[in-house]
Amino acid sequence: MADKDLHQILSQLSSLSHHNLDKAPHLLSRAKLSLLHLNALVPSSQTSPQHLTLARRVLEIGALLSIRLKDTDAFTRYYQQLQPFYSSNQQHNAHKGEQSKVTGLYLLLLLSLGDYAEFHTQLEGLEVAYGGKKAIDEDVFIQYPVRLEQALMEGSYDKVWGETKGERVPSEEFGVFSEVLVKTIRIEIASCAERAYPSLPIASAKNLLFLDSEGAVIQFANHRQWLPRDGRIYFPQQEAEATMGEKDILVMSGQVIQNTLGYARELETIV
Amino acid sequence: MADKMDIDTVNGEQKEEEKTGGPVAPTEKIISTNFALINQAVDSFDPRFTLRALRSIATLRKREDFAQALGAGIRQAFPKESNNARRVLEEMLPESVRQQQNGSASASVAETNGKKDEVEVVEIAEVWAYLGLLVQVYLLDTASHQAGATFSLNLVDKLRSFNRRTMDPLGSKAYLYLSLFHENLAPLPPSPQSPVLSLRPKLLAALRSAVIRNDSDTQAAVTVLLLRNYISTADITQADLLVAQTQFPATAANNQVCRYLYYLGRIRAIQLAYTEAHSNLEAATRKSPTTGAAVGFYQQATKMLIVVELLMGDIPDRATFRLPVLEKALAPYFKLVQAVRVGDLGGFVKCVDVNEGRFRADGTYTLILRLRQNVIKTGVRMLSLSYSRISLRDICTRLSVESEESAEYITAKAIRDSVIPDSRLDHENGYLVTTSGRDVYGSTEPSEAFHERIGALLGMRDECVRAMRYPGNRNREAGIEAQKARERERELVGEVLEAEDEEDEEMGGGMDGL
Repeated sequence: MADKDLHQILSQLSSLSHHNLDKAPHLLSRAKLSLLHLNALVPSSQTSPQHLTLARRVLEIGALLSIRLKDTDAFTRYYQQLQPFYSSNQQHNAHKGEQSKVTGLYLLLLLSLGDYAEFHTQLEGLEVAYGGKKAIDEDVFIQYPVRLEQALMEGSYDKVWGETKGERVPSEEFGVFSEVLVKTIRIEIASCAERAYPSLPIASAKNLLFLDSEGAVIQFANHRQWLPRDGRIYFPQQEAEATMGEKDILVMSGQVIQNTLGYARELETIV
Repeated sequence: MADKMDIDTVNGEQKEEEKTGGPVAPTEKIISTNFALINQAVDSFDPRFTLRALRSIATLRKREDFAQALGAGIRQAFPKESNNARRVLEEMLPESVRQQQNGSASASVAETNGKKDEVEVVEIAEVWAYLGLLVQVYLLDTASHQAGATFSLNLVDKLRSFNRRTMDPLGSKAYLYLSLFHENLAPLPPSPQSPVLSLRPKLLAALRSAVIRNDSDTQAAVTVLLLRNYISTADITQADLLVAQTQFPATAANNQVCRYLYYLGRIRAIQLAYTEAHSNLEAATRKSPTTGAAVGFYQQATKMLIVVELLMGDIPDRATFRLPVLEKALAPYFKLVQAVRVGDLGGFVKCVDVNEGRFRADGTYTLILRLRQNVIKTGVRMLSLSYSRISLRDICTRLSVESEESAEYITAKAIRDSVIPDSRLDHENGYLVTTSGRDVYGSTEPSEAFHERIGALLGMRDECVRAMRYPGNRNREAGIEAQKARERERELVGEVLEAEDEEDEEMGGGMDGL
């Protein structure tokens, strides 16, 4: 009975369109309840293969829907719940496609949060799970976050900008992250620009920061405490650095004194 | 090093024998010698004898008659054929070795020194464990991995049930071979179905019992094996958790410490904690042996160290690549370093493609892929050092970057990350302008570099002092006894002299009586 229930819910879920996404959480909790009845929510050696497939599908749909609903916590939870399914010995090749999509989305989430350590750790584990580099190279969903990470690390933000726009995005769910990513790179570019340019004309600032209008530029500048004057933006950070110099000397000489005292102490113990 | 000196003075006679026997000592004799050593270890509760016995494994396994000698050794240790322990060991050896004629066995026994015959080969558990280790080595050398795996599982279960401290060095070795067998079983790691996964619960249980029993040898060995296990299947998070939850024993042997530092360095490198990884790997290379059979570890550790140094932005010293033991192993890494040093992105990509297989086998491939941004950073730095003013278009061509905007963003990021600290970008004219360089000696950089090195050397000195051993109590006791004897003599002499004086006086008086 729980079986039929599940099938019904699944068909309902897959037929959801953009407009009634808010019904999704309710349907998903019902689906999870039925899975619990079948003892399939947490896979063990006793669960039958069909139940395993069903559970996988439910969790994957849950993950994708939570991305659409911009609920990152729920997505992380679904991803963790899916892990035992992905690493178990029985491989269900039928639904391989969704696995790479969900993994790619998780990698993208880590990137947007700036968690590069976890990103690389996951990437290491991926090669093992996929059995070879070839599979990963050809997988569009995984290559997207990998390319993005490379571009972010290098600092070629125009590449990042290009990736998030238009056709390069593999699927709709990835597009949800584009906004977040653009915000992140805007902050990065702003901090780079502060140090690199003595001043910038507002028009160039607009292009550099990927903003739409000069008004947005001025707003952004005020937010970052820059000084817009005569159609140029002046970055005030440099003067603050000069005054730091004197303080540094005191700190450094204190350090040197501490070090030398330490050496004297250690040397005394050498008989 | 300290061990050898001490055992020499205490165990002088046996050392002489082995020296003269030296390269010609028959394998059986070595095995019997080791029985005596193990007996001594159990009697004196001193682990150094066991370590000496274990050291001979390396020479034993290369001998051609290893199997026969092993069979003879088993027969010598357990003369009763029905003994269960003996049967378990013999099952693993080939048929020919088991039924050896009694004639040759007794002849070899007669040949051995009279001293050996007197030393009774008591049927103690340690001897059985030692023979078990030799059987494991034999199975490993003949590549019978499946048999070895099952035998090892039984062996470690038995050893764990013993709970004898004198067994610890032998037990820790047994776990090592157990791990090696499982690693060679198909499907090989890093496949997720590899049998090494089934080994984890066992190793974790062994770790728990080792900690409870204060068995630092096994604790160190099993921790290292667990880390190796996790890294082989790329379960970095689990390995990290293990390191966070357990303490590596401070009294562990040097080779285990080396291995631990190496694996820890690898984990940290993957997690992008490069400074920590660098200090770990540097300590591992410093402590590891640089000659002899173990030089392979030195090579691996140096490879990791080089990659981590590149990731940190430093260029490794060229002299490292010229060391004779490292030259061949590090050849592809040398090309890699050259490409990164110059900032040549095309050369870098080519080098990575050509040597991909090699890098994958070393486990450094994913780390090297991250070097791409380092190449670009170094390129930008080179350009800013060489040109006081350079146009963005030129930067774009030299770095092989696709577009001018990319070049602009990359340079801006480099300036922010203090790669080229004294530069400014001129947006309208599209130039990168570099102001004069700073005087390095005017800043505190040299003193910081010195401080690091001094700290490392002082730490090493402290460890050496702590590891020093002093000659055993016996000498001192003898000295004290001799001293007491001398004092007694002196007192006696004193008494005699006094008595003589008295006698003299008495004698004079006595004469009267006479």
